[in-house]
Amino acid sequence: MKKAAILLASLILSISLAQVKIGILSPLTGGAAGTGQAQKAGFELALEEINAAGGVLGEPLEILIEDTQANSDVALAAFEKLMTEDEVEFIGGGFSSGVTLGLIESFKTFQPVVSWIGGAVSGVGIDGFDGIEELVGEEPWFFHVHPWDYQNTAAANAFVASTGVGSVALLHEDSAFGGPGAATSERVIEEQGIDVVLNEAFKSTLTGGTGDFRAAISKAAASNADLLYWIGYDSDVVPMTSQIRELNFTPNYIFGTPPGWPSDYTEAPEAECVAGLIGFLPSLPTPEAKAFADAYEAMHGAAPDNYAAALAYAQLWSYADAINAAGSTDQAAVIEQLESLSFKSPMGEWSFGQSEISPHQGFGSEMWLVFQYQNGVREIVWPEDKATAPLASCN
Amino acid sequence: MKLRMNLVLLALAAVLLFFLPDLLKLFFDKASVSYLSLLINATSLAILALSWDILARTGQLSLAHAAFFGAGAYSTAILVKQTDVSLWLGLPLAALSAVLLALLLGSVTLQLRGIYFAIATLSFAEVLKAVIQKLPSSLAGGAAGINVEPLFRPQFIAGEMERWEIAFLRNESYFLLYAGLLLATIVLSLLIESSSLSYAFSAIRTNEEVAAVMGVKAARFKLLAFVLSSMPVGILGAIQAHRIGSVSPDETFNVGTTVLALVTPIFGGLYTSLGPILGALGLASIEEFLRRTFSEGYLIGYGIVLVLSILFMPKGIMGLLRSLRKAQRESL
Amino acid sequence: MDLTLLLQGILSGILASGLYALVSVGLALAIGVIGIVNFAHGEFFMVGAFLAYQLFISFGFDPVLSLFFVAPALFILGALIYRSSIQFVLKAPELNQMLLTFGIGIILQNLALVIWGGDPRSISNVPYRSIGYQVGGVSIGLVPLASFLISIFIVAGLYFVLLKTPLGRAMRAVAQNRTGASLVGLEVNRIYLLAFALSAALAGLGGVMIAVIQSPTPVVGFAFTLKAFAIVVLAGLGNIRGILGASLLVALAESLVATLVPDGDSLRNAVFFAIIFVVLIVRSRRQA
Repeated sequence: MKKAAILLASLILSISLAQVKIGILSPLTGGAAGTGQAQKAGFELALEEINAAGGVLGEPLEILIEDTQANSDVALAAFEKLMTEDEVEFIGGGFSSGVTLGLIESFKTFQPVVSWIGGAVSGVGIDGFDGIEELVGEEPWFFHVHPWDYQNTAAANAFVASTGVGSVALLHEDSAFGGPGAATSERVIEEQGIDVVLNEAFKSTLTGGTGDFRAAISKAAASNADLLYWIGYDSDVVPMTSQIRELNFTPNYIFGTPPGWPSDYTEAPEAECVAGLIGFLPSLPTPEAKAFADAYEAMHGAAPDNYAAALAYAQLWSYADAINAAGSTDQAAVIEQLESLSFKSPMGEWSFGQSEISPHQGFGSEMWLVFQYQNGVREIVWPEDKATAPLASCN
Repeated sequence: MKLRMNLVLLALAAVLLFFLPDLLKLFFDKASVSYLSLLINATSLAILALSWDILARTGQLSLAHAAFFGAGAYSTAILVKQTDVSLWLGLPLAALSAVLLALLLGSVTLQLRGIYFAIATLSFAEVLKAVIQKLPSSLAGGAAGINVEPLFRPQFIAGEMERWEIAFLRNESYFLLYAGLLLATIVLSLLIESSSLSYAFSAIRTNEEVAAVMGVKAARFKLLAFVLSSMPVGILGAIQAHRIGSVSPDETFNVGTTVLALVTPIFGGLYTSLGPILGALGLASIEEFLRRTFSEGYLIGYGIVLVLSILFMPKGIMGLLRSLRKAQRESL
Repeated sequence: MDLTLLLQGILSGILASGLYALVSVGLALAIGVIGIVNFAHGEFFMVGAFLAYQLFISFGFDPVLSLFFVAPALFILGALIYRSSIQFVLKAPELNQMLLTFGIGIILQNLALVIWGGDPRSISNVPYRSIGYQVGGVSIGLVPLASFLISIFIVAGLYFVLLKTPLGRAMRAVAQNRTGASLVGLEVNRIYLLAFALSAALAGLGGVMIAVIQSPTPVVGFAFTLKAFAIVVLAGLGNIRGILGASLLVALAESLVATLVPDGDSLRNAVFFAIIFVVLIVRSRRQA
């Protein structure tokens, strides 16, 4: 009898003291390695802070990061490893809509709590194609941290409308990122009474192009648009902006929405007056942003240039807080806390709320800022309440 | 005689493969799901490698295998999206579209050899990818792609099974399908090896002019090899589309597929049936081992393995096995 | 169609051929002289681009100045790689060389990922990157113009070396007849070493150019390598001079389609590879 009691006690103890493990899927190598490495750096910082603050359920939190190589086969095997070999109950990380689509069937099988950063293709507004929000948005165990594509577009277009321009030339890369995005943008901008005088596709350097956008830019210049709006990737920034200058195209505003901006670009002469959409800026004038940027710099020796780092940091903290508040790893209890709590992040307090379909959407269009390179500094110029400087015309 | 023995061995392998999922489950419990997932990827690589090797036996170095893969995947995806026919009809359709593509590409590139052939086939694959992307999106999904229904969706019965057991059933079904395709490809390869085709192929590879003098109609054999090589890859693309749940131009027509199709048989041993399979198993296990051992930069180790392998086993794993057997025989 | 737009398209196309020639010429040397299909050539571009970036970050070197360091550094890297691996596979089948160089490429790419990370970098201060001279409504970009002139200079120089110098004669001799050349006492291995190292140095040059016009990333070389292979084959193996014409043909066609067709810039790769495909097929039919 006594033996049994000890056994029971130690069993309870071992359950409550079991270390919480969170499985992370992230593209650490290959074409999307920049984002994957940024996520990893953000997770590492959050992990250090969480464990310094007492960990999760009284034990140090553990994260297991698996490389997806931004490849569906690899990601699927990595996810199933996390579920069946490492026996994690919580999944984090996440990037690339193609990879996400490939994981959905297995997500639905295992139904762990999945908090997913990337994969913005919602499918909302694309006829005949089911996107990620349409496929898993309603699942009670699915949480989505990064804004959906239509939320990105809404923010970008609200900025465009706020400039008061009369005409826009739209240049977009031709893959799953820029193609649908440009179609929606053209519609939304036209609805606001602004002329879209050109909507032209180019081949991004990320999807096999060699970075010559001169024909598209020449057409934009011939269209005499007031604002050039381009949708492409990080590695398109330098060729795009330098060729705009080279071809002597001088619209009032040059606005781009790549997922990130090359480090050091701030000091480049062609950066002057270029505006861009971004999820997080180290110069955001809030204490959270400064604390994050300082701690990140101290740990990694570089500024958090890629906002995926800030999102990863926010995601891991939300898990830690929710599990601690739930007092156990019980799925229903953790989901309840994820739904009701608000969490810290470099972008300020945030919580999960309703989007078009999903009741568990983290950051929405309000996350986005527009910055402008002004004299070697990234000034926030939109939205007004966060602005550090007014938007300046290029002319 | 040799063919018969090989077929008997193959039948044994088929029996083993059939029971492999259950054996894994018996020994490893839920981890069998993860191992099956890895085995599916390795089997898929083996199919790709062996198919590529069949064409390589004529000396033609194809860089178009991503196109055959993509043709199979897309024809299935379009069929499934546009009609209500059985999902399984997509597989023969995929084979057919890969074969038609091979006939088209093969017949116009007959005069090309070596790197000229390689670059022509690469260019063809790149153009096809762009064409698919520019097709009306109501037909081919444009840049976003097309969703593809899974072939297997085992139902969860609450109280009678655990969640991971559904994943096991799904992976088991897919594994058996991939393994079946691999076995069929092996049979195809063995039939070629044991028939007069193998002499014709290697004659063309060694010296096309001499082969012509000996009465080998090079053009016809090269075309045949092209068609036989494309068929399994087309079906593979279709199965993969079902398993991954979607197709899109950038992911489905990935040059990486082409490169793996070429690298794997060299690593395993060219112009054999066993070599490409050993190559696939070898490369997949090495990559997974390195991945689990080193958290950072594990692909550096992968590259080093490739470099060392070619320096120390220039004829691949098969060459190594042959010289080991020879040494053993001599020591007896 | 606006005539200025068309003129700009033609001009941009002609100038863009310079970059294509620049990235192809080193590969042409490796394939033409040594007969080696170097799958790691794109990683030489990438290393060159990152070195230019690093020299800028550490010492503030302008890319033009970096050329004088990057090219020798890549020459040495090429020589080391040749000595440690390539020389052992010279007599092996072409496919073995491909696997070997593919492996080298993976090593270099992932080393770069560990050293510089995956995010794109940029050389921030290139004062001449955005300069365009406006002449009669069209713009002549300084960087495209410079790469156009440099590529002509390099191709001509290489052509001269191959044709007029003892080293060049030796290179052509070993390229034409491997066994014969070693019989007449040429040090074949040393000539191959020089040719491979020179090919890497030229790739370094291309890499610096890529660092100027784009952002160095571990995968930046890939797109250029695919196109460089195609251009070398279009020119014909061993035909260094032909690189210029082949580059001009594809660059001009790309630019014209990009200018004349809606969404044309997204069709660049399709146009490029369609031309390569058609020319290869037509040429093979005519020869047969």
